[in-house]
Amino acid sequence: MVGVVGLEIHAQIQSTSKLFSGSHVRFLAPPNSLVSHFDASLPGTLPVLNRRCVEAAVLTGLALNCTINKKSLFDRKHYFYADMPAGYQITQQRVPIAVDGILVYSHFEGRKRNQVVTKSVKIKQIQLEQDSGKSLHDDERSQTLIDLNRAGVGLMELVMEPEMCCGEEAAAAVRELQLILQALGTCQANMAEGQLRVDANVSVHRPGEPLGVRTEVKNINSVRHLAKAIDYEIQRQMEVLQSGGTVLNETRAFDSKSGFMPEPNLPPLFVYESEASVPGGVDPAQAVVIDRLSTQLPELPSVKRTRLVETHGILQEHSFTLVVFQEMWKAPEKKVGQIVKEQDLWMINDKEELQKICQRVVDSHPEEVQIIRRGNKKVLNKLMGEVQRETKGRTDPVKVRAILEKMVS
Amino acid sequence: MSASSAAYRPAAAMLGLSIREVSQALRDGRVSATELCRKCINQIQRTRYLNAFITITEETAMEQAQKADSRLRTGKPLGPLDGIPFSVKDNFCTENIESTCASSMLKDFAYATLSFLRSGSTDGVFGPVRNPWSYTTQYREQSTEDPDSDWLISGGSSGGSGAAVASLSSFLALGSDTGGSTRNPGSLCGVVALKPTYGLLSRHGLIPLVNSMDVPGIMTRSVHDVATVLRILQGRDERDSTTVQAPSTPTSLPEHFDIRDICVGIPKEYHAPGLSEDTLAQWSRVATMFEQAGARVQEVSLPHTQHSIVCYHVLCCCEVASNMARFDGLEYGHRSTVDSSTDAMYATTRHEGFNNVVRGRILSGNYFLLKSNYERYFMKAQQMRRLITEDFTNVFRSGIDVLLTPTTLSDAVRYSDFIREDNRTRSAQEDIFTQPVNMAGLPAVTVPTALSRRGLPIGLQLIGQRLQDWKLLTVAHWMEQQVSFPMISFHSDADERELERSVRERTHTIGS
Repeated sequence: MVGVVGLEIHAQIQSTSKLFSGSHVRFLAPPNSLVSHFDASLPGTLPVLNRRCVEAAVLTGLALNCTINKKSLFDRKHYFYADMPAGYQITQQRVPIAVDGILVYSHFEGRKRNQVVTKSVKIKQIQLEQDSGKSLHDDERSQTLIDLNRAGVGLMELVMEPEMCCGEEAAAAVRELQLILQALGTCQANMAEGQLRVDANVSVHRPGEPLGVRTEVKNINSVRHLAKAIDYEIQRQMEVLQSGGTVLNETRAFDSKSGFMPEPNLPPLFVYESEASVPGGVDPAQAVVIDRLSTQLPELPSVKRTRLVETHGILQEHSFTLVVFQEMWKAPEKKVGQIVKEQDLWMINDKEELQKICQRVVDSHPEEVQIIRRGNKKVLNKLMGEVQRETKGRTDPVKVRAILEKMVS
Repeated sequence: MSASSAAYRPAAAMLGLSIREVSQALRDGRVSATELCRKCINQIQRTRYLNAFITITEETAMEQAQKADSRLRTGKPLGPLDGIPFSVKDNFCTENIESTCASSMLKDFAYATLSFLRSGSTDGVFGPVRNPWSYTTQYREQSTEDPDSDWLISGGSSGGSGAAVASLSSFLALGSDTGGSTRNPGSLCGVVALKPTYGLLSRHGLIPLVNSMDVPGIMTRSVHDVATVLRILQGRDERDSTTVQAPSTPTSLPEHFDIRDICVGIPKEYHAPGLSEDTLAQWSRVATMFEQAGARVQEVSLPHTQHSIVCYHVLCCCEVASNMARFDGLEYGHRSTVDSSTDAMYATTRHEGFNNVVRGRILSGNYFLLKSNYERYFMKAQQMRRLITEDFTNVFRSGIDVLLTPTTLSDAVRYSDFIREDNRTRSAQEDIFTQPVNMAGLPAVTVPTALSRRGLPIGLQLIGQRLQDWKLLTVAHWMEQQVSFPMISFHSDADERELERSVRERTHTIGS
């Protein structure tokens, strides 16, 4: 049995104002201080599309090799929840702005974890939609507090096809996406701050057989956590099936009833191939033109890495690190810590954690441990390699060796 | 006219002038804006038994009148409407004034959007607004019963707006038109009511019913007045993405206009069952009038007409269900005291705030929007909507300039008769001639043509091509001049005193 993973990613668009209103987009502002009449759903207010958000979606679509739909439509998705004041979300259900893209990503494999394997995952579509507000449940006082600052902020929802097999692939794909979005400037992609939200659809099956029941993994706030949660869920499902049970999905029932309706207050969204294709009645300065945006595309991370390798002879695995330095250089206000955190590159220094990891490796290699005890110390290197593989090289070899030696003796 | 000559008009008669006339009177100094405002407010008080007004912003109106006066005195009026009081249907959001939609859901609700609006709000969307015509002497003499116990409806849903203009309390009233809500009371109250092309007037600030059909409506006592107002209000608004650029419009309707250039279509499907004899007679009379003046008049067909009302109802319910989803008591409006859970609060708030007509529409709309029903109801209705629009397009393409139809099935009925059928049935009858126009987004105007044998107004509807509102009004203007409809006017002072006394004796309160 193998795992099947598909990702649904919500990326908050980096823009000054919200998708359909002029209120500002800011993280950590006083509650309900960035709420316009429209955001609060006061009757009589109407949505007005933010051009910057459309451009961000087109740029992202181009960077992911998507087909940009010259005409796309807006819809209302209805559901009652306190953080959605209008009782519906404006989204693009029928015809989204971009479809059929590809995300190419790499991850490390091999004994020395220095073999770069390139994979790709198809992007089904990218759609523009509104973010919801935030609710805080105060169980002590039996009340819920609502902050609408985030209500109406523009999101790009990226739907990936279920072509990944495990947490590691999903994590690698997300990391690459973060780099791309940051390079484009369309999203800051910080998971901890909620700028990038990833939901994973996980199922298991035997190759050749139909796909299994999907469950959702949600509320993840780091790439590492994502990988772990996905792998845990795959493991759980496999155990359920192997013991003769069935996998249940509890969240899907909610979706099937909610009604969709075209958004009557927004005419179809048109973007144009080139200046020449902008029709007479439209002001070219107002129009979103794909050619014009293409010229604004920066060098994407994968291209940069290839260039570093080919032109400068850098080892491929090092090109990943250098791209991080590039990030630092490009966005000096970002502290190294932030980038390292976003890219999940921190060295593991926590003693307990190191112990745990080493213990796991030792427990899962009883034969090797025996060989070492019998005198062949070289085999310790293999165990060290395992630790490095598990932690993706984020450990100090000296410390690891010391711990392993102690455990094995 | 000089100030000292017989230009002086009795105080009350000023109220019966058209916008054009009173605008001139203001500029000439024959009346001041504050005097005019005071007169309107007095008239509103005198006719309060009509129940047309929800809020009267007397102070604000007088303040603004004073400002208008200083502008008029220095010869710098803001425009042709400066100094003229007007009324607004209560579903328009007005700065610092409650907009309630006559609903307990929005009691005490106010926020600022439109800033040029002035005097009071009007209309009971679901409340009993009475037809001012039921109080004219003519009718009362004919009736054997006490008319105050058996009053006539004013139509709706902009009934208050219609009553305000007809009773001379306002020179202009803004209504809204989703399926005929401005034209219907226009016809029953004997005033001119225009539903402009969809997208020509901004809906920003208009509390929506059906976003894809709502249009602000204009009600006045003459076609020329409607044209004046349209010219001021029309045009693109960046806050409403469905607005379009207004076509270039001359400063006033043409003085000389040759009706022989016009081809009038009479759609045969509009011979609906239930059409009253009087209305049918008027329709024939006016068609003949056009013909005898040299216009081409021909019968045309709009084959999908019979399906329009049902599709209108489906689409209406769907959009209403969607638009009403925001009324949850959280951010504004009525909130129930039940707070055991968010869901419980939502449910009771909405149950308390909405009456059964609204609740019925919401339930129906949600049903039609279910995934399993979407194609069969919503999609089908939209497809039919396109066919109805194409019916009109085809007719206009074949050389027709305007269509002439009845506006309502009959003159105003008694309230006691009206309530015998449920709202759904009544809507289907009331909107029969008007809603296809909203489905197609076209402009249409109702013009009063004559009084029925019961002494009540009958209006006829002219329908025009998209964005050809000016041409439509040109033809309507001609028609208005030919039919010589008797406008409501003031009795002499003696009659007025008698009227007031008898009304005072018989007035009783009806809750809205």
